Amino acid sequence: MHTEAIDPPGIAWQRVSPKYVTVRLVQWALGNLITVLVLSLPLLLVLLDVWAWPPLWLAVAVPAAALVLAIWRLVLIPRQVRAIGYAERDDDLLIRTGIFFQRTMAVPYGRMQYVDIGVGPVERGLGLCTLKLHTASPGTNAQIPGLPAAEGARLREQLAARGEARLAGL
Amino acid sequence: MTAEGPRPELGGPVTAPASENGAPNPSPGTAADGEWLRVHPASPFVRGWVALAAIGFFFGRDVFERALQGRPILEDQFAGRAPLLLAGGAVVLLIAVLGFILTWYFTKYQVSGGYVRVNTGFIFRQQRQARLDRVQAIDIVQPLLARIFGLAELKFEVADAGESAVRLAYLKMDDARQLRATILARAAGVTLDPSRPQEPAPEAPEFPVLSVPPSRLVGSLLLSEQSIFVVVGAVASVVLSATTGNAAFYLYLIPAALGLAASYWGLFNKGYNFTAAISPDGIRLRYGLLDTQAQTLPPGRIQALKVAQPPMWRALGWYRIHVNVAGYGALEGAGEGSGRTTLLPVGRLEDVMSILALVLPDPGTQQPAVVFGAGLHGLDSDGGFVTTPRRARLLAPLGWRRNGFTATDTALLIRSGRWWRELVVVPHQRTQSMALHQGPLARRFEVADLVLHTTAGPVVPRLRQAGVEQALALFDAQSARARLARKRQTTEQWLAQVAPGAPELMPAEAPAPTQEGQQHG
Repeated sequence: MHTEAIDPPGIAWQRVSPKYVTVRLVQWALGNLITVLVLSLPLLLVLLDVWAWPPLWLAVAVPAAALVLAIWRLVLIPRQVRAIGYAERDDDLLIRTGIFFQRTMAVPYGRMQYVDIGVGPVERGLGLCTLKLHTASPGTNAQIPGLPAAEGARLREQLAARGEARLAGL
Repeated sequence: MTAEGPRPELGGPVTAPASENGAPNPSPGTAADGEWLRVHPASPFVRGWVALAAIGFFFGRDVFERALQGRPILEDQFAGRAPLLLAGGAVVLLIAVLGFILTWYFTKYQVSGGYVRVNTGFIFRQQRQARLDRVQAIDIVQPLLARIFGLAELKFEVADAGESAVRLAYLKMDDARQLRATILARAAGVTLDPSRPQEPAPEAPEFPVLSVPPSRLVGSLLLSEQSIFVVVGAVASVVLSATTGNAAFYLYLIPAALGLAASYWGLFNKGYNFTAAISPDGIRLRYGLLDTQAQTLPPGRIQALKVAQPPMWRALGWYRIHVNVAGYGALEGAGEGSGRTTLLPVGRLEDVMSILALVLPDPGTQQPAVVFGAGLHGLDSDGGFVTTPRRARLLAPLGWRRNGFTATDTALLIRSGRWWRELVVVPHQRTQSMALHQGPLARRFEVADLVLHTTAGPVVPRLRQAGVEQALALFDAQSARARLARKRQTTEQWLAQVAPGAPELMPAEAPAPTQEGQQHG
C-alpha cells in the first residue's frame, strides 16, 4: 500500500491480517443489514395496505438510501483494513488508520500504562486478536485490530519490555 | 522512580481487602512516624449537620409554633403516647450519633514509608494506600461550617481521574497544614534529620506572586460569556412580550434568573480573594469567600495550560488560565471543580507572564516575553510561530493568520482564535502521545491537524490546519523532544531530581519567583 501524505517518510508499515476483513464484514452485517431491514418495515406495511402513511416513494426512498450507504461502507471495508498499519520504532509505536479521515498516531513506549488484548467471538474463530494501548490520557485511543494471535502476544511482550526499559512517570 | 512490575504503574490508589486486625503493621524503621491518627471527633457532625439540622427543624418548628399560639405542646390525644414517641425519637437520634461516632472511630490515617494510608468503615472496611511520590495535587478545603469550627478537609490527588485518593475530613486547620507539609516534604524527597525523627517537617516558605482584586473579579463576571447570554435573553424576552402583549411571560424567567444569580454567586464565591504564591513545594492557590480552598500543585504536575481571552476582555487586557492536572480529572472541568482547574480566573498580561514563569520555570527560550506575547496576541510569524499556509485560508478565513505553533526547548505553544484568543502550552515532558489527523477537505488543501494527548481536563491541545510538511516535521521533532525531556526527568521526587539526597528547600531549577517574573514580564 502506498504511503499517505501524513505518514512519516521511510516507515515500513506492518499490515494487519487480511482475515480481519471477515470480522468487519460480520460487524457490517449485524449493523447495516438490521438497519436496512427495520427501515424496510414501513415499505412492507404500505405494500400490504396496513398503513396509509407514508407515501410509497418515501417508504422506498428511505431504505434504498440506507442500502446504498451500507453497500458503500461494504465496498470500503477491504481498503479500510488495508489502511490499518503499525510500525515499531525505537521509542514509540506508530499506528495509522483511515482512508478518508486519516490518523497517524505515535505512542511512546515509556508512556504506556498498560496493554490489553481483546478477542471477540468472530476473531477467536479466525485466530485474531485486538491490541489496545492505554496511556494516562483518555485521548489516546490506540488500538490495533486484526492481529494474528501469535503476533498479538509477541507485540504485547515486546511493548511491555520496551515500556519497562523506557519507563517514565506522568 | 522505581519500577515495580513489568508494566508502568499509574500510581492510583490501591484498595486492598481488609485484613484480620484492620491495621497493617508499619514497616520496620518507620515506626516513629507511622503512628495511626484519627480525624477530628466533630467531623461527622460537621459533615452530617444537614441531617441533624433537618430533624431539628421539623421538631423545633412544630413545638415553636404551638408555643407561640399558646396551645399545649402536645395534642391531648398524643399526650398519653408522648413518652413512647419521645423514646422512639431518642433511639433514632442515638443510632445516628452512634453511627457518627463509629464512623469516626474506625477512620484512621497514617503517613509512613512513602505511603499515606487511610482505613475507613466498620462493617465494610476499606484500606487504601497511595504513594506519596505520585501526588499530583494536595488541597485544603474549608466549607463555611468547617471554617466556623476551625476545621479543614485535606484532599490528596493521585493520577486517577475518578475520585480523590485520600480525603480526610475534617482535621484541625493546623493539623491539616502540618500534614500537608509532611506529605509534600516526603513526596519531594526531603530527608529529615535522622537524629530528630519526631520533629515535624517544616512548612515550606512561600512567596506571594499575584492576587486578583474583587473589583476586577466583578468586572470579569459582568463581561463574561454568560452576561452576553443574559443581555441577549433579556432583549429577546422584552421583544417577545412587547409583540405578544403577554406580561405573564416574565413569570417563566424567574427560575432562569434564580439560576443565573446562583451561577454568578458561585463564581464570585469561588474567585473571591484569589491569590497565587510559589513555594518549593509548588504553586499555592488560595481563594474563596465563604468556602475557602488552598491548592498546592507540586512542580511539574501541570500537564497542559490554556490562556484564553474572550473578545469582551480584550479592551481591558484580561486573560484567564485553565490547566490540566492528572488528579483533577475531566468531570470536574464543568461542575464543582471548575475552580480547581482554574489557575487564574482573571488577570492582566503581567499576571499571565508570572503564572507562566511558575509553570515553566525554564521557558526554554531567550526571549520569553516576545514568544509568549506573540502566542497571546500575535499574528502571522511573530515570535517564530508557524501558521496555517495561505492556501488553506478558505478553511479558516478568520483564524488562519492566528492558528499556529512554535516550540521552545521546554514546551510546545499552540495558539488559535482571532476573536476568542487561545494559547495552549504543553511541556515536552508531559506529552503522552500524539496523532496527525487529516480529513478529505484538509487533504485537498494539503493541511493536517496535530492532536497532543494529555490527561483529562479543560485543555485539549490541537494544532489546527498546519501545512502537511510542517505538521510532519513537528510530529517527528515533537517525538524527539518528548523523548529527550523524559530522559532528563528521572524521578518523581522533585527535590531529589535536582540534587539527590540534599535536603535543600529551594530547588535549583526554581529560582526566586521575583527574578523569574521580571525575566518573563
